[in-house]
Amino acid sequence: MSADCHSSPRVPAPRKTGEEPSASREPTIVLVGRPNSGKSSLFNRVTGGEAHVGNFPGLTVDVLEASVELPELGRARLVDLPGLYTLEAPVDPDTDEGIARRFLDDIEREGGPLLVVQVADATRLALGLRLTAELVRRGLPLLVIATQDDLLRAEGRELDAPALSSALGVPVLRASARDPSTRERVLEAVSERLRTIETPARVRRDWDPDALARRVIHERDDIDARALRRRQLTARLDGVLLHPLLGPLLFVGIMAAIFSAVFLVADPVSSVLDRLVQLVGKGLTRLLGQNLLSSFLADGVLGGAGTVLAFLPQIVILTLAMELLEATGYLARGAFLVDRLLRIAGLGGRAFVPLMTAHACAVPAIAATRIMRDPRERLTTIAVLPLMTCSARIPVYGLLISTFFGERAAWIKALMFVGLYFTGITAGLVASLVVRRLAVKGRGLPLVLEMPAYRAPEAHVVARACIRAGWRFVRDVGTTILAASVVLWALLTIPPPGAPPASPGEPPRVAAVRRSVAAEIGRALEPVTSPLGFDWRINVGLIGSFGARELMVGTMGVIFGIEDAEDDATPLAQRVREARRPDGTRAYSPASGLALMAFFVFACQCMSTVAAIRRETRSWRWPAFVLGYTYSIAYLAALVTYQVAHKLGLG
Amino acid sequence: MAPTLIPLSRLPLATPALVREVSLSTAEAEWLRAIGVFAGQRVTVLRRAAFGGPLHLRTASGGELALDRGLAAAIRVERVIEREAEQQ
Repeated sequence: MSADCHSSPRVPAPRKTGEEPSASREPTIVLVGRPNSGKSSLFNRVTGGEAHVGNFPGLTVDVLEASVELPELGRARLVDLPGLYTLEAPVDPDTDEGIARRFLDDIEREGGPLLVVQVADATRLALGLRLTAELVRRGLPLLVIATQDDLLRAEGRELDAPALSSALGVPVLRASARDPSTRERVLEAVSERLRTIETPARVRRDWDPDALARRVIHERDDIDARALRRRQLTARLDGVLLHPLLGPLLFVGIMAAIFSAVFLVADPVSSVLDRLVQLVGKGLTRLLGQNLLSSFLADGVLGGAGTVLAFLPQIVILTLAMELLEATGYLARGAFLVDRLLRIAGLGGRAFVPLMTAHACAVPAIAATRIMRDPRERLTTIAVLPLMTCSARIPVYGLLISTFFGERAAWIKALMFVGLYFTGITAGLVASLVVRRLAVKGRGLPLVLEMPAYRAPEAHVVARACIRAGWRFVRDVGTTILAASVVLWALLTIPPPGAPPASPGEPPRVAAVRRSVAAEIGRALEPVTSPLGFDWRINVGLIGSFGARELMVGTMGVIFGIEDAEDDATPLAQRVREARRPDGTRAYSPASGLALMAFFVFACQCMSTVAAIRRETRSWRWPAFVLGYTYSIAYLAALVTYQVAHKLGLG
Repeated sequence: MAPTLIPLSRLPLATPALVREVSLSTAEAEWLRAIGVFAGQRVTVLRRAAFGGPLHLRTASGGELALDRGLAAAIRVERVIEREAEQQ
């Protein structure tokens, strides 16, 4: 490919006259561009993949930074700004666009050596050039990189970079993020541009974006039927995916398919992992004998953290699905389809992206609300995001479903899973309707949202995101969940002074647990939770999962691991199902299971989310409100579920 | 003959038209201009979402966007005559 950097004979004027650049300071290179311009892909390519790629506005949630080595100039700071459409129209400072503009203002005021690299999508060049015009007017030292060059060529078109460069008076580089050689070429062009940055020259302003784009994009001679089909790709896909009847059906189908795949595909793998964890525990006990150390390792460490770890496949599959939706450009279509529905709930199409992202994790979703231009809708979305079924709920739902409905057909279990997801979504919509009616009243801003062209996801980018999510999960299990499991194990093993004596006929290990500190605490809560069908063990789990909901599973693993004298490789689900009260009756019924699921649908058991809400709203009122209302609804929902299920004979 | 202006929200599908007036607040109009909808731009409505949902719009600059129907009602357009449309 012959994509070279074309330096124009005219070089833009230095940013500030009469100010010597400090030679000692590392230059700052700022990537700016419209959302969907391929900016983050390029940043990924140049930095070797530290950043998250967003094919949709807003998924570049924070200002990402990396250190790069420039030929001849040494180290430089490369910054990837959130996407922005304009530097000139008024904008809410809390949005992505506001953040990007504030960053530009600040860095310009700082006065170090600076180069602004505008990334423009060559397949939609005229749009990118509108931003170029503003950057030129602002007098920023500029280099333009026209990305998606490979896609432009596949469409049978070609960019005349020298012509564009001389029309702008700014160097222009053609690039495509999929090409590995792009890294070197970009760094070279940046270096070249930085060397000549102080040369006085004149940037041209006498051009019209649309006319200029028409002039520099040429039809290629070797254009074939394939290239012509390629141009129609997005239109033809939209014809199906946004079809008045088919579109919404496909939308619901895609959502349901993702949520059930999380269960159907990952569950067998999880069962194997769970069995493996139990077998290792059993082996340890055999090796070390029945003592405190083997109990600590088998019940505390493996039973707690190990059991949670078995849910790694679910996390990876969900991340894969979310990444694919995002990278293909389907998220914007979802926003188009559900805008009307979300309006009824007092939100809008722009809320769709954070709401969808929240199904992976609420924390990045809260940051993703920065694409929402309406502050009222943004606050409301933040308040209801914790109701979306995040991946941390999956272990809990997985355990409860296999415990109480383990014998049912796989499709029934998958359907329950999907049902839990849609319950969360419905609850979120109702909650936002109420919040918008009572707390943050007023009309929202109407929807204006770019619909990016469909793109084939880049395998290495998607794979990296999955690995990152999986690794984060493993790390959390290895740190917080492990620590909490160990603390819990200690609390379950140590009896408090003046513990009640063992009941006659009770197995000694069960009696020991029943008399532990943790059990005391759990029992103290029983008056509040027994109408919900929860006993002290579940209460201990609920306390444990206040900070992170997946700890519920770890807690259960520890409790039932210690209680179980047999030390065989019984799966946790079976142990929970067969748990007994001191009087020998079954401790839980399917009604308790359903009630517990209802509780987990609503409760915001996640301190990271609370902290993120605090950070984003800069107040304690909103996190307090979220905790208050989600726990209240959770309690009520569990109460109603248990009582109704009990009456229906599921007790 | 004076051109007949109709709201963008009432423009038939797949019919090219020129944006003539954007009767919105300055802030909103400037934002629309940045994203690619402004007086003089040629636009086509590709589809409308169900139940009064947004329009799917294509602009001559090559952009596609979802636009709220109420907002589209404040944008007045003039249909481009057939011969011109064919050339597009």
